[in-house]
Amino acid sequence: MSAIEIDALSVRAGPAILVDQVTLSVEPGTWCTVIGPNGAGKTTLVEAVAGLRRLSAGSVSIHGRSLRSLSERARAQMVSLVPQHLEIPAGMTVRDYVGLARVAHRGLFRALTAGDWTIVDSVLTRMSLDELAERDVTTLSGGERQRMALGRALAQSTKVMVLDEPITGLDLRHQMELLELLKDEVAEGGLTVLATLHDLTLAGQFADRLVLLDRGRVLLDGPAREVVRSPELAECYGMSLRVVEVDGADVVVPVRS
Amino acid sequence: MAAITVMTLAALAVAVVGGLVIGPTSIGTGRVVGDLFSHLGVGHTTLSPLQSTIIWQLRAPRLVLGLLAGAMLSVAGGTYQGVFRNPLADPYLLGVAAGAGLGATYAIVDVGSGLSTPTWAPLLAFVGAMAAVSLTWLIGGRGRRSNASTLILAGVAVSSLLTSAQTFLQQSSSNSIARVYIWLLGSLASASWHSVTMVLPYVTVCVVICVASGRALDVMSVGEDESRSLGLPVRQVRLVVIAASSLGTAAIVSAVGLIGFVGIIVPHIVRLLVGTSYRRILPISVLFGAAFLVFADTIARTVLAPSELPLGVVTALVGAPVFVLILSLRRPVVR
Repeated sequence: MSAIEIDALSVRAGPAILVDQVTLSVEPGTWCTVIGPNGAGKTTLVEAVAGLRRLSAGSVSIHGRSLRSLSERARAQMVSLVPQHLEIPAGMTVRDYVGLARVAHRGLFRALTAGDWTIVDSVLTRMSLDELAERDVTTLSGGERQRMALGRALAQSTKVMVLDEPITGLDLRHQMELLELLKDEVAEGGLTVLATLHDLTLAGQFADRLVLLDRGRVLLDGPAREVVRSPELAECYGMSLRVVEVDGADVVVPVRS
Repeated sequence: MAAITVMTLAALAVAVVGGLVIGPTSIGTGRVVGDLFSHLGVGHTTLSPLQSTIIWQLRAPRLVLGLLAGAMLSVAGGTYQGVFRNPLADPYLLGVAAGAGLGATYAIVDVGSGLSTPTWAPLLAFVGAMAAVSLTWLIGGRGRRSNASTLILAGVAVSSLLTSAQTFLQQSSSNSIARVYIWLLGSLASASWHSVTMVLPYVTVCVVICVASGRALDVMSVGEDESRSLGLPVRQVRLVVIAASSLGTAAIVSAVGLIGFVGIIVPHIVRLLVGTSYRRILPISVLFGAAFLVFADTIARTVLAPSELPLGVVTALVGAPVFVLILSLRRPVVR
């Protein structure tokens, strides 16, 4: 059974069709990245999988269970989200922020258990946030905030994680760090990832599979190595692209025409 | 947190004793306490029948109504600030004040040149308040595109509409303007055990619901989409907490008029003392708000005795300096 099964999904906003008849499945323990130019429908697609968008047609299933049949809480036990723009609540500590993830399991009226806090603390350690645990979230740098958001999604203990441009605004080192952390969770923890990324080089290096979206439709879907070399990719962006191999890794370079 | 709780409880105890003992007729604290014990079957009272009436029929119901009003308005204000993620939110945000004002004004104007406020003014105020909030919800709270902003804007529109109707009504009957004005400023002067029993069930249920929503409001501090991804049924939570806050506020407003400032300032004072978690802000706001309003009322009824200062004036006069003092001592964390 697929971890994520998207079947003929359409999402409309008024007359505009944001996602158009998309069919896609992601196997458990793999990483699929959605790429495409601005306005291609990437964010809408991943938000639909996270349950935040009304599905106009088609369906989304997580481990065989249709999103339409799940309550908010049941869904939150199966899919976690790292959004593109984080809301940072002033006055909350990093530990409490990550602890919000456990509400999906504990409900609104029961206090978090010692077991919940063990999960939170282990995530903080994995994200190297131990020393910042009692800091006010507003005092964190951009890189630390993204690690904290990833930590919160991990503390939700879901099998599927959806990330929308998780490395926006980070410098190169922090981009690599965050993606490596996520890769570890996929490789060792069996996490299934559906992410959107603008950086084609990083998208190609970290994902098992790339899906190219254009105007709401799937244009290409295949192994990362094939998709970055495909002529349709450059055509879709409307520019020349070259792929250079450096130490066995593909680097996608834009070329001025 | 524990120290703040103890301090707030101590302030509440002082407010309660002060509310019973302080007044134009001087009755010692020991004698009041002795009388209280005599009602419980311990010892004998040393109060005269007149003194006993002053304590138990005038000051006690006024004290209890003050506690209920302070607790309800403060917890409703805190809840609104959380659910709308807006530090300027107060319990009157969605039209409760305007609706209650229109209802009460209609009742007062309707009796013409009579001297007192009619007995059915509270009922009309309550109906007006609930009708206003329901209208706001119908306009801005339903449907998939509704969010906190559409609801606030609907509240502004409904409030403006009802306030203009209330002003029109008020101006059209010049001989009742003073009574309308007094009602609008809020007062505990007409408190009785009857008014206490009228509002008690609403306030009890609504305070419990508001306090229990603390964790949900903490989750909502990360925004609507993120809190939904964390498993929070945002629309249902919003409906329940707004209904509870509005119902409790409407009940209080119908009994005591529009007491301003408490609902917005008490949660902020408490936030400065205990931090930004609503699981701490809301229960402490209940205690702090109850004590604060009784202090304010004790001042309102004693400073110019036998006449009274409007309670809304005193809450701002006392609350603003307290707030500024705490603000200057603690780093503000407002969201």
